[in-house]
Amino acid sequence: MIRYALAILLVAGPAQVLAQDSTPGLELWGKIHEVFSHPRCANCHVGTDRVPMWSGPEYGAAPRPHGMNISGKGADDGANYLVCTTCHSKQNSATPHGPPGATSKGVAEWKLAPVEMQWFGKSSAEICKQFKAKESNGNREIAALAHHVTTEPLVLWAWTVESERKPPYSAKELGKIVEDWGMAGAPCPTK
Amino acid sequence: MRVIWVDGEPHKVDVEGDMPLLWVLRDEVGATGPKYGCGIAMCGACTVYVDDRPVRSCSLRIGDVAEGAKVTTIRGLGTPQALHAVQAAWIEHQVAQCGYCQPGQIMAAAALLHDKVAGKPPLSDADLDDHINHAMSANLCRCGTYMRIRAAIKSAAAKLQGQRP
Ligand code: FES
Ligand code: FES
Repeated sequence: MIRYALAILLVAGPAQVLAQDSTPGLELWGKIHEVFSHPRCANCHVGTDRVPMWSGPEYGAAPRPHGMNISGKGADDGANYLVCTTCHSKQNSATPHGPPGATSKGVAEWKLAPVEMQWFGKSSAEICKQFKAKESNGNREIAALAHHVTTEPLVLWAWTVESERKPPYSAKELGKIVEDWGMAGAPCPTK
Repeated sequence: MRVIWVDGEPHKVDVEGDMPLLWVLRDEVGATGPKYGCGIAMCGACTVYVDDRPVRSCSLRIGDVAEGAKVTTIRGLGTPQALHAVQAAWIEHQVAQCGYCQPGQIMAAAALLHDKVAGKPPLSDADLDDHINHAMSANLCRCGTYMRIRAAIKSAAAKLQGQRP
């Protein structure tokens, strides 16, 4: 009997070690975080003040709030008298420094991510926890999250610029990374 | 070829889809109220309404304006006989200096008052100031008429709320 139990321990031991080893999963999360913390994504994933950010290579080293005292307070697409689509139309402006634009279902769409999806100013661990939790991720399982990042027009929009302003990878690659991260147990870093 | 309604009248426009609405209004339709300031949605001088929502017409391609859309410029906001409350307040406070930015300022102010004041419970002075700060910060005036703009908006708001004749 004891010999039998020992045999089980010997077989179970390495497998347990493998299951606890989340390094590949954490590496995958690191790639997801590279995208989420990229200015092109994080600038509109802001907190309770609902002020979008201007940060990224074209704005110099220090991130700063969106000019013109813009705030999404009251509604994620801006106050009715000055909605985001007052300036952000269906397409990226072709004029240097003109406003970017995006379309969903045939109409101009521009809005802040919900406040529970704040990424700007959050740590990798915080974003990961929030991305996994259904109450802060739009009630999505991992498969639905992968689908979301590969199909949502506002997410796809992030890659529609010249290479120096693009987030890393592609939407399709990001979807695959999210899937693989899920299969690796969807681990989150501790900080 | 598309038809847009500008200040209540239909206009057939036959231009490239990437022509900004501002060009269409000024050069094709002859509605010269909206002005060209920056061309990149940074100054507000070109503000008009498309289907009752303010837009920066310099940065909106005509190809992205729906067939039959209703466009309102400063010319369609009120008439000399029946001025919009904001236009009347602008005259009362003699807001304009050079005047170049003012069509955009008036369109922005009228959108704010329509949204937050007309037919709504009265706002406190602080709340109105807060809305003015948000609504008007994207409209620049190189002559610096901001104090008069604020006073005129408050005046129009009071009138719309029935607090003054
Ligand atoms: S000209 Fe359109 S916002 Fe300046
Ligand atoms: S009145 Fe001259 S720019 Fe405003």
